[in-house]
Amino acid sequence: MQPLTPRRLAWICGGLAALLLVVVVVSLKLGAVPISVTDLVVNLGRVAIGRSDSLPSDQRLIVFEIRLPRILLGILVGAALSVAGAGFQALLRNPLADPYVLGVSSGAALGAIFSLLVAGQTTAAMPFAAFAGAALTIGAVYLLGRRGGYLDSYTLLLAGIVTASFLSAVIMFLMTTLSGRDLRGMAFWLMGDLSSPIPVDLKWLFLVLALSAGAIYTTAADLNLLLTGEQEAMHLGVDVPRVKLVVYVSASLLTGVAVSVSGAIGYVGLLVPHVMRLLFGTDYRLLIPTAAIGGAIAIVVADTLARTIVAPTELPVGAMTAMAGAPVFIYLLRRRMQ
Amino acid sequence: MPVEVRRIVSLAPNMTETVYALGAQDRLVGVTTYCDYPPEATVKEKVGGPLNPSLEQIVALRPDIVLVAKTANRRETLEALERLGVSVYATNPKSVEEVLDSTLRVADVIGVREQGDRLVALLRARLAALKQRIAGRPLRRVLFVVWHDPLISVGSNTFLADALHWAGGEVAIESGREWPQLNLEEVLRVQPDFLVFASAHAAPVKDTVNDLRARPGWRNLEAIRQNRVAVVSDAVNRPGPRLIDAIEELARQLHPAAFAQKSETRYSILDIRRANSPADLLSDAISEYRISSFEFRRAVGGQAPSQRGEACNP
Repeated sequence: MQPLTPRRLAWICGGLAALLLVVVVVSLKLGAVPISVTDLVVNLGRVAIGRSDSLPSDQRLIVFEIRLPRILLGILVGAALSVAGAGFQALLRNPLADPYVLGVSSGAALGAIFSLLVAGQTTAAMPFAAFAGAALTIGAVYLLGRRGGYLDSYTLLLAGIVTASFLSAVIMFLMTTLSGRDLRGMAFWLMGDLSSPIPVDLKWLFLVLALSAGAIYTTAADLNLLLTGEQEAMHLGVDVPRVKLVVYVSASLLTGVAVSVSGAIGYVGLLVPHVMRLLFGTDYRLLIPTAAIGGAIAIVVADTLARTIVAPTELPVGAMTAMAGAPVFIYLLRRRMQ
Repeated sequence: MPVEVRRIVSLAPNMTETVYALGAQDRLVGVTTYCDYPPEATVKEKVGGPLNPSLEQIVALRPDIVLVAKTANRRETLEALERLGVSVYATNPKSVEEVLDSTLRVADVIGVREQGDRLVALLRARLAALKQRIAGRPLRRVLFVVWHDPLISVGSNTFLADALHWAGGEVAIESGREWPQLNLEEVLRVQPDFLVFASAHAAPVKDTVNDLRARPGWRNLEAIRQNRVAVVSDAVNRPGPRLIDAIEELARQLHPAAFAQKSETRYSILDIRRANSPADLLSDAISEYRISSFEFRRAVGGQAPSQRGEACNP
């Protein structure tokens, strides 16, 4: 494996960011309503020079008020889920770990359902209730997953899985008491859906997610040592309990916030970190930024497919992530084995 | 609310049917992929399925109003449209009376109040005539079979339960939930008088009933043994003007004796569909709406119009 130099890091991340930009522009062009390349370029140009008031009104609505916010939300959610997935895989030292394995998404779903039961007239409270549910679950699993005063990977994993199944059972019970309309909404939420994004302030969302991802990044070098074994890492001077706590809290926060605004989009958090490992190696100092950009690319691509392949009907993005992601992953895995 | 509604997008099959029944179809610029009645509606511009339409497609059609049915659409879609500054009119009828009221309000909103008054007066007259015809007859206790495995029926507080009541029936097993899953033991204990299935075609229901006849539990139901099974058009699932047709159709099967006197027969749309010589029936001066409904049927050569009807079922 090549040693990680700042130069290599910059090249890889720069390349991925360029790819993301291309994907975003293509995604802005594609959709149920055809928009010509010329119109798109002219309109993007107008916005770039600050003349957005001169845009034709339905193009402004479609490109800048429907497609763009959805793409930006997808980027943030994809990056958050992938970084969280990479974090949980190191924390639990388990390649099957994904952002939802410890029950954060189940807790968020339960919160969302409660908000529908209590204040069924509007969905405005849903993201906040979902986040409250996620936060409670994070706390509960933390208390259950401790052994001898600090987080033990296996206890944490078992506590998380049991909590997740318990919450799923409660969700199924409550789903049967919801009326038809709420049930339909929840089914989309549970699959992960960006089709009618709730109005969230993307700046705040970005700030919270960037802080959490940054916190995980500060432990990247320690995570590399942790992967060789806890004892070894401790002998090499890593403050293992602190690293675990930081990764647990940050990755859970990333997951909780992402799920609260978009529902439980599956597989991105599991697959993208593995794809990035296959492409660029297992060094967490490189893995975390590449997983963030890769996750953003994956969600934007999946959501573009979700809203175009059966247009004008839209699919939930969660249905596309695995369908498009699994073959890519299998291809990379087999190629590496040869 | 715009002063004059020139461009309408409908996000639910029953809203599309209502717009057609009100004669405002020329202003209907977008419908869903489930809007299959009348058949002309299928050639209108599509905006996607009722649960997951394309917002940008709706916006691109520049609608003055988007008609939404809370029984068919997601609240998220409605809220997203409102945030984009699109006028939305949502209906949520929970009884036959509310279906008529909401038809009147939709007529008012899209500016065809007169047609609305005429249509609803006609529908009310038909309901009144039906009520008179089946007056004094005992209510049939009905198990409405939405799905048979698992057994899903309708709750007591739904427009379907109310439609049953208008047709001279009642829900055999009360439930507060919208689509209750029922225990077959309870059904056996209650022994409903009739099983009711909603389907665009009679044949698949016949197959289902034959299949049920062989199953333990089901074969012990008196209604199955004596073949007291009613099939209504799947229009019964759509809270629109055709609900009245379905109610008449169901009443005819639940209370055949009340419809025995031939002279007074009022032709329901289903009878028109079954009749050999439509010209004879036309001479019976049936209502404007029913003639137009008949035209829709004839346009597809007597085919049942809603191939995709089952997909609309919850």
